[in-house]
Amino acid sequence: MTIYLLCLILFCCGLYCILRKRNIIKIILGIIIAEYAVNLFFILVAYRMEGRSPILSSEVEIVNMVDPLPQALVLTSIVIGLATTALLIAIAMRIYDKYGTFDITKIKELKG
Amino acid sequence: MSKEHDKGMTLIVKVITRLTVGLILLYGIYIVLHGHISHGGGFAGGVIIALSFVHLMLAYGRDVALKKLPKSAMSFFVSTGALIFLGIALLGFFGGHFFLNFVSKGEPFRLFSAGTIPLCNIAISLKVGVGLFAIFIALVFLKFEWEKKE
Repeated sequence: MTIYLLCLILFCCGLYCILRKRNIIKIILGIIIAEYAVNLFFILVAYRMEGRSPILSSEVEIVNMVDPLPQALVLTSIVIGLATTALLIAIAMRIYDKYGTFDITKIKELKG
Repeated sequence: MSKEHDKGMTLIVKVITRLTVGLILLYGIYIVLHGHISHGGGFAGGVIIALSFVHLMLAYGRDVALKKLPKSAMSFFVSTGALIFLGIALLGFFGGHFFLNFVSKGEPFRLFSAGTIPLCNIAISLKVGVGLFAIFIALVFLKFEWEKKE
């Protein structure tokens, strides 16, 4: 139970970063931290005590293995996270190109 | 010193890079080819392949890395990866349904087994490896408006 609460604390760190920081790069870092907290939570939910990885092999017979479904889900989530992070960084670079700043309070003009 | 040593990092970094970059590329290919019998797979191996090219570019500068993998080759490999994956999925229609495993399954736990899954892994690794390197190139060498004016 404690370990799930630690996951929640990590997620809240990311959420604080998204809501309170004004630098766009720090906001992107907060999004990444929150995303990885959720991934970690899924992996921890799937874990069984003293389980081995859910891959069949010829020499070892499996008696106790962890749940493979959240692992496949998290692998997909990591791929999507990579793509969204690249998109966010590209948007941040465009904003810096247009306004010359990363501070979201100084981005005021609505043009084009 | 030849001309290619003008750009990039110092000589120490370049020598170490020359020794290790092939090993990193081979390790990525190993992860891809053994994706159906052990840990790893198309995405993980593709990321390692992309990292070997990024490594080369950080040490030797832009021109050497782009000579190894030019932009036209990059767009060719990315499109080829997607088309191979789609083609494997569509070929299943000859047997009956989408993503049908039409190749012989082989003996379990051997390298040549599991039907179309290694082929799918190779297609994914082409797409991910070259695509990630293309994202890196695009983010690093983006020219801003105020940079063009100078």
